[in-house]
Amino acid sequence: MPSRRAPATRWLVVTATVLAAAGCTPQSVTEQGQAIYNLYNLFMYIAAVVFVVVSGLVIWSVVRYRRRDDELPTQTHGNNKLELTWTVIPTVIVLFLFVVTIQAQDKVLDSSGDADVNVTVTAFQWSYRFTYEGTGAEVLGSPGTIPEMVVPVGQRVRVKLLSADVVHTFYVPQTLFKRQAIPGTVNEFDLTFEKEGLYHGQCTQFCGLQHTDMTFRVRVVNQGQYQTWLAETTRRGSAGQPGT
Amino acid sequence: MTDEAGVLLRVSIFGFVIGIVYWFLTYEWLGTVCLLTLGAGPGVAGLILIQEQRARGGAGEPRAEALRRLAGIPPQDPPGPKDLAAEDLGVLPLPTIWPLAASLGVAVLFTGLIYGLWLVILGLGLLAYATWGWLAAVNRENRYGRIQADTEAPSPQSGPVSDPDPHPSAAGQPES
Amino acid sequence: MATTELPLPALPEAHHEEPGGIVDYLTTVDHKKIGILYILTAFAIFLVGGLLALVVRWELASPGLQAMGENTYNQVFTMHGTLMIFLFAAQVTTGLGNYLVPLQIGAADVAFPRANAMSYWLYLFGSLIVFSSFFVAGGPAAVAWTAYAPLSTDQYFQGTGMDLWIIGLAVVGVAGILGAVNLVTTIFRMRMPGMTMFRMPLFTWGVLVNQLLILFAFPALTVVFALLFLERNFGAQFFNPEAGGQPILFQHIFWFFGHPEVYIIILPIFGIISEVIPVFSRKPLFGYRAMVFAFFGIAALSFGVWAHHMFATGLVYLPYFAIMSLLIAVPTGIKVFNWIGTMWRGAITLSTAMLMSLGFILVFLIGGITGIFLASPPIDFAVNDTYYVVAHFHYIMVGGLLYGMFAGFYFWFPKFTGRLLSERLGKLHFWLFLVGFNITFFFQFLVGLDGMPRRIADYQIERWASANLISTVGAFLTGVSVLVFIWNFLVSIRRGQPAGDDPWGGNSLEWVTSSPPPSHNFHHLPEIHSERPAFDYHHSPAFAAGTDPERNPDRG
Repeated sequence: MPSRRAPATRWLVVTATVLAAAGCTPQSVTEQGQAIYNLYNLFMYIAAVVFVVVSGLVIWSVVRYRRRDDELPTQTHGNNKLELTWTVIPTVIVLFLFVVTIQAQDKVLDSSGDADVNVTVTAFQWSYRFTYEGTGAEVLGSPGTIPEMVVPVGQRVRVKLLSADVVHTFYVPQTLFKRQAIPGTVNEFDLTFEKEGLYHGQCTQFCGLQHTDMTFRVRVVNQGQYQTWLAETTRRGSAGQPGT
Repeated sequence: MTDEAGVLLRVSIFGFVIGIVYWFLTYEWLGTVCLLTLGAGPGVAGLILIQEQRARGGAGEPRAEALRRLAGIPPQDPPGPKDLAAEDLGVLPLPTIWPLAASLGVAVLFTGLIYGLWLVILGLGLLAYATWGWLAAVNRENRYGRIQADTEAPSPQSGPVSDPDPHPSAAGQPES
Repeated sequence: MATTELPLPALPEAHHEEPGGIVDYLTTVDHKKIGILYILTAFAIFLVGGLLALVVRWELASPGLQAMGENTYNQVFTMHGTLMIFLFAAQVTTGLGNYLVPLQIGAADVAFPRANAMSYWLYLFGSLIVFSSFFVAGGPAAVAWTAYAPLSTDQYFQGTGMDLWIIGLAVVGVAGILGAVNLVTTIFRMRMPGMTMFRMPLFTWGVLVNQLLILFAFPALTVVFALLFLERNFGAQFFNPEAGGQPILFQHIFWFFGHPEVYIIILPIFGIISEVIPVFSRKPLFGYRAMVFAFFGIAALSFGVWAHHMFATGLVYLPYFAIMSLLIAVPTGIKVFNWIGTMWRGAITLSTAMLMSLGFILVFLIGGITGIFLASPPIDFAVNDTYYVVAHFHYIMVGGLLYGMFAGFYFWFPKFTGRLLSERLGKLHFWLFLVGFNITFFFQFLVGLDGMPRRIADYQIERWASANLISTVGAFLTGVSVLVFIWNFLVSIRRGQPAGDDPWGGNSLEWVTSSPPPSHNFHHLPEIHSERPAFDYHHSPAFAAGTDPERNPDRG
């Protein structure tokens, strides 16, 4: 039988694990990513409980049921009630996880609103081109540079993702979101940034020799700064953004 | 229906059910074809096993039995072996180089797809030679057996020969 | 069963088995020798793959390209994955299965012994073809073990190395399919009387399901390789969108093979754990039938989840694959609970094999739980293709596979060789491995959550450096633990304590025969009345009283 101290220790471990993990998941800087953040934490809490309970049982059995003599223990073959219990309960948990997954997924992928900014992102070996539809602005990166995609805060940015050659990915860690760029396919998704800042982005689908260098940035600015930047970039023509 | 046919038919039913569900959820061709093939393959194999069991004769299994097998509920225990000496522990093939040679032939043949027709032909040749040797060995061992009794003259054999024990003793002798 | 027109001769007396020479091993059709060949070859490839891993970790220990250029790094991690997944993982368990399955079901050999030998030689030659890619102009493939098109087509990646990669792996695939036909037939057809399907040991069940998975999944791999080869060399345009092809086709077919492949790798390991834990708990396996159904549940579901590797493509129906992937947790959980149920109220001995099995459960728990996270598409959007995934699958493939493999080695080494591995060295191996392994991979979860992508030769984000350095230290520690094991093996094979037939008090039939077994496996077969024939045999009153006519006084 577990000691009376064990349940308290267990909750401590669970809380500590959750806090540790939560501290490691980046808070999302987009509206869509917020749903992912919350989902992750829910999963983490359940996972921590499952881990602590199961590993606790394992460690407990090893401690408590060591061989002390030559007597054979009771040769139990099984217990159908237990089998049923530990089939039904995990299935219920899994179905619950599925439901919350679909709810979060719908929020993440919801593109029913009108887009305020339309950016076509073309991934190629080994950088990106950002084309702002309806304007003349374009940012063209090249292998070794870090192109910047400038977007206004609080506005729905619709990204149309293309590839010019092999499969790439558009990934901004702090949005908690990525999508593959597949040649011959157009992928669309929305990002609504809620916080101004400079966010690192990188290609995560291995795409050849300089995959390592295929990085970009998203610069989220206020509306005024965005308009200024847009006008300037349109005037300049599709110049490459000097990378750092 | 034997247990084995039961296993295969269960896999088959799963493949078909999932394949159909997948089709109506996604209308995606490739995955559907893969899943339905998963259903068809073992299904055919399972049906062949059932057919074979019928052809071997024996009373047909009552339907209830067959359904219980399909659900995975095991049948009554068959009686254990009483006379081990009489049980067939198998007639084992002699050691032989032909599997290695045939594998080399396949490897060379496949590599030839990169380097040119000449290598493919070389591989095919080696494979053909190895197949001939292999089938000859099988034929020979079927005729003359792997384990020979004292009185029989040793069969003509080419290639590596393992020493067949010339002194078969009664079962029950402890191993040295 | 073999057919012959001759009346069956009586069994010969088994002469003392000399250790086989080279010619012996070149011509053998004995499943035991073939099993040993598989295990030794696979283990050698594991060591090479492990060295490549250490090279990867060496480069990643700190920011900046220190040791090599990007191309070399890409080759290194590609070949690391290729060797480990295609040429080691499935074959080491096939080797154990080859050796043990006929013994466990009371057969003298597999159904097709010569074809069995051919499977091994095809595996060896296929592996050599893959290795030859290191020596051609341009070097080996550098497209990751998943070799996605269009990157792997000749438009973007030229060189014979890639073609040798495809051909070599195709040959190995043929070997796998041939072996699967063999083992499935053996298990279906060659069980001794009394050995019904539901009395087979769990390891044999694991091998059966694993080989059935191979039968149904490997052809997909062969197809995708054929398509890729045709595109590279004969002008096919399957994956070229400009010519009407579909890049996503590659991903679908590849993963239809690829996901079952990881279950192919792990299911025999579940079988090993299900053998070791009952023996060292002195209780039967809890829930035998449930465990068998769980095997089939996992295998069946594994065919329905392939596109969870493709959630980020935006081109697959997410809810279907999410629910199927989440559901795999249920049969897997059943297995874990049954292992605990076996230990509960048992009498546990912490031999090295048992320690390895316990280590397996704990690391597999982490690997499996993080798999649940990945099964949820929104979470997958965040962490796919980052070090989170790398950590997840290494917890399963290194933690799960290696702990299980070592448990099997410590458990069955006495049966194969007649000697025991040193328990002292074994425990050192276990603890070094436990610490080294967790240090290597746990921090990769954290750095993956922070956004570090996989398959990059270098990173410039400073805060990832410390986790990577720690991970590298752990990797080298893990390497040391493997060296300890190799030392143990070399020492014990010559001077290990003699084991006898049944050093552990085993349950399955192989523990009834001598260590190592005679060439035709058994002199005597006991009656089968349960799933623990050796246990029944050694605990029967007739055996104890010495009145059992089958009991061999020399064997004790």
